Order: sequence, then structure tokens, then C-alpha cells
Amino acid sequence: MTKKYDTPLLDELEKGPFPSFVTEMKKAAAKNAMAADELGLLEKSFRDKVTYWKHGGIVGVRGYGGGVIGRYSELADEFPNVAHFHTVRVNQPAGLFYTSETMRFFCDLWDKYGSGLTNFHGSTGDIILLGTVTDNLEPLATILSMNGFDLGGSGSAMRTPSCCVGPARCEWSMIDTLDITYDLTQEFQDELHRPAFPYKYKIKVVGCPIDCNAAIARADCSIIGTWKGPIEIDQDRVRDYAKKGMNIQEEIVNLCPGKCITWDGNNLTINNDDCRHCMHCIAKLAGALKPTPPFGATILIGAKAPFVIGATLSWVVVPFMEMKPPYQEIKDLHRKWWEWWSEYGKNRERIGELILRRGMREFLEISELEPAPEMVKEPRRDPFFFWKEGDLEGKPWEKWLK
Amino acid sequence: MDKEELKKQIYKLIEEAQGKKKYKQMDVIKHFRALGVSDAETKEAIRELIDGGQLIYTYMGGSYIELASKLEKFEKDIFK
Repeated sequence: MTKKYDTPLLDELEKGPFPSFVTEMKKAAAKNAMAADELGLLEKSFRDKVTYWKHGGIVGVRGYGGGVIGRYSELADEFPNVAHFHTVRVNQPAGLFYTSETMRFFCDLWDKYGSGLTNFHGSTGDIILLGTVTDNLEPLATILSMNGFDLGGSGSAMRTPSCCVGPARCEWSMIDTLDITYDLTQEFQDELHRPAFPYKYKIKVVGCPIDCNAAIARADCSIIGTWKGPIEIDQDRVRDYAKKGMNIQEEIVNLCPGKCITWDGNNLTINNDDCRHCMHCIAKLAGALKPTPPFGATILIGAKAPFVIGATLSWVVVPFMEMKPPYQEIKDLHRKWWEWWSEYGKNRERIGELILRRGMREFLEISELEPAPEMVKEPRRDPFFFWKEGDLEGKPWEKWLK
Repeated sequence: MDKEELKKQIYKLIEEAQGKKKYKQMDVIKHFRALGVSDAETKEAIRELIDGGQLIYTYMGGSYIELASKLEKFEKDIFK
């Protein structure tokens, strides 16, 4: 029998039409002492307006530098079952597909070794198993490993790469997000489990520019599926949209960032050379417009939420990259980036911050990438190019004047 | 420097820095680079020390390499 706490403040969170985490915690608390004490501690935290958790530290599994986030309660005497309440991150399957047997495995595992409370999934994408004690970590990692799972990333390491459902369930996907994610995860096991970077590094892969996973805002490296061919137009279906009430001029033409679409009331035309590949028109006119091959990905770098300068979206560094196994080009680029970042990055400095500090020009040099118009984030403010003495000796302007 | 000697020196570096400085993996690599040891050799030696349980990764706002013996003391201290 687990201890029962009065939780008048938490009970408030059960009211209303939405599912409540409190209800789920109460279910777990009925049979799990850790979940029961966690409920009591949370109520006390709400009442006192104080968090009693100590975060961080040094617990883990031998050989791993990540995957376990140490948490301890300051109120170990009052709530002894949550004196340790470590979080375990488990590398999720790409696209978050599970069999019901696998879900049962995780539930049974966590009832036995932890609080029974889970989070499918954390914002990084991992399976989050909430609350266990230090002594359970080694056996837990062994059982996970025997069942084909591994710990995820945490700390100053590459975090568990994540992706959208991609071609498994989505008609828009232009790259195999699942295979890319799996391949990169396998390739960079050392970087995932042995923290050697100045700070965290996240990779997110999405199949198209609609970007359901918000890779452009949430990942240090965003791999976003795109196309190179002209957009195919089915004029009859476009007219059908217009007939059914869509204002093509307002909703499609006027919102095109490349101003490359025209609509005469009967025919839609697209100047593909000016297309910015935002995919707004294709998504709105589903079935009427279609991207055509070659398909590949745009590679962007450097997003992070709370920069000193505010939230920052990632920056295009490769406008189009073919994404075919074994994905050597993206792997080679990462190795160059990480070497430079590890060499010059300050403690807790994300790669995007280092690019801002040392300049995109240097970043492109170490990446061995040529500047391209697609990289320009703000016109007249991106000086990728500085003359060096050696460059001037060749008098390059003479070539341009011709 | 042979690998066993390098491992001893890495351990000594971390041990002597206890309470004064926390080393990240790259700090250790740079330290031994200055002594003429290649980055790959240092990385491999650190890996063996971690896998052997002499050193561990810790997280204090960033990831560091510290003595494994710190874990027990850490958990004792935290409940004081």
C-alpha cells in the first residue's frame, strides 16, 4: 500500500475538459511508492512555490556520458521514495513507431525499475523514463540493450537525432528521414554517448519545408527535404479550388515570398527560377501542385532558442544536397564542423553562437563550402567575402569586367 | 608516450585538478597535444579510462571528465 497525500492544489489541475497529468500520476501512485511520494512532493512545491529538486551531477551508466539526468530531492526525509529521482533518456525509434508489445515492455520495465511515470516523448524526441534510483541504472541499461534499445543523449554531446514520420506516412516527404536519422545515429555513437563538445548539438531531419518537427527552430543542424525540379501544376484542380471558394490571389499569389506566382482567374503560372521553396502554395493546393525530382535536402546550421540576441532560426549552408546512403557528404561536413567548434568553442557555447562570434566566412572556409546566394540571411549584412592579399594579386576584377 | 603511460598521466592530471579545475575532454586533448601526443591517442586513452571505470563523465552545466571515486562522495554529500 503506498502512502496517500492530500493534494488540493493538484486536484485543481484535474478539472476542465483536458487530459490531466495529475490523474495519470494518481493512477501510478496507487501502486508505486515513488509515484506516490512524487505526488506529495509536487503538492508541497505548489504550496510553497519552491522546487525541491537538485538537478545535474554525475550518475550514469559505465562508459556512457549521457542518457541519465541525475535528480535528487532536498526533502529526502519527508519523501524518502524520491530521494533519488533520476531521469533516463532512451533513444527513440526514428519516426516514433512502436508495436504494442514494445509499449508493454516499457511500461512493465518502468513499473519494476522506476516510478511508472513516463513521457512519450521529451522535446528532444527521446523516450523519457521519469524517476529511478542510482542502483537501478546499470541493470536498466543492460535490459534496454538486450531488447534492442540504447540510452539517448544528454550533456555536451550530440543529442539523439530525431525526425518527422517522413515517407512512412507522409506524401510530402522528399527524403527518407527515417533512414537518415537511423544512419546518423549509428554513425555518431561516440559523439552521442561520450560528451566531448563545448555544449549540446541537435540534429533534426524533416521531409519537406513544411517542417512539422520545427527543425529550423530547434536543431543546431536542420536537414530539410526539398526539390529541384519545376512545380507540376494540374490546372483543372487549381480551378476546382477556386470554384470551391479559395481566393487564389489572396491566399496563394500574394503570400508567395518569391513573388513568382501569377493567377489570371483561369490559369496559374509559376516562375520556378524565383521560387524560394517555402512550399506554401503546394501545401495549400494539395493535389493541384506537386514538387518534382531531383529530391534532396537543404542543410541549415545554428538554431537555438535563447541566444543573447534572441531566438534564432538556423541558417542555410548547403542549398541542395543529395541524400543518398551512406550520406557521406553530411557526415563529412559534421566532422569538420565539430572539429572547429571543439577547437574554438567556449564552454556552453552552441555552434550557432560560435558562427556569430567568429563569422560565417570562417565557418564556410572550414566547411570548404563556396558562398552561394541562398546563404544570404539578410541582404547587405552578410559579408561572407573578404579579400586577402593573395586574392588581389590575381586581379580577379579583370575577369568580372569582361 | 605509450598508451598505459598516457592513461596514467591523464588520470594524474584529473586527480591533481580536483577541486581546482574541471576538465572537458577537449581540454585534456589540448593539454597533451602541447606535449606532442596526437588527439586520437589521447581520445582513445580517455575512452579506455572511462570504460575501465577509473574516470566518469559528470554534468555540471556542461560535461566534464572526473574521477569515478567522486560519485560515492557526491551522493553522500547531497543528502547531508
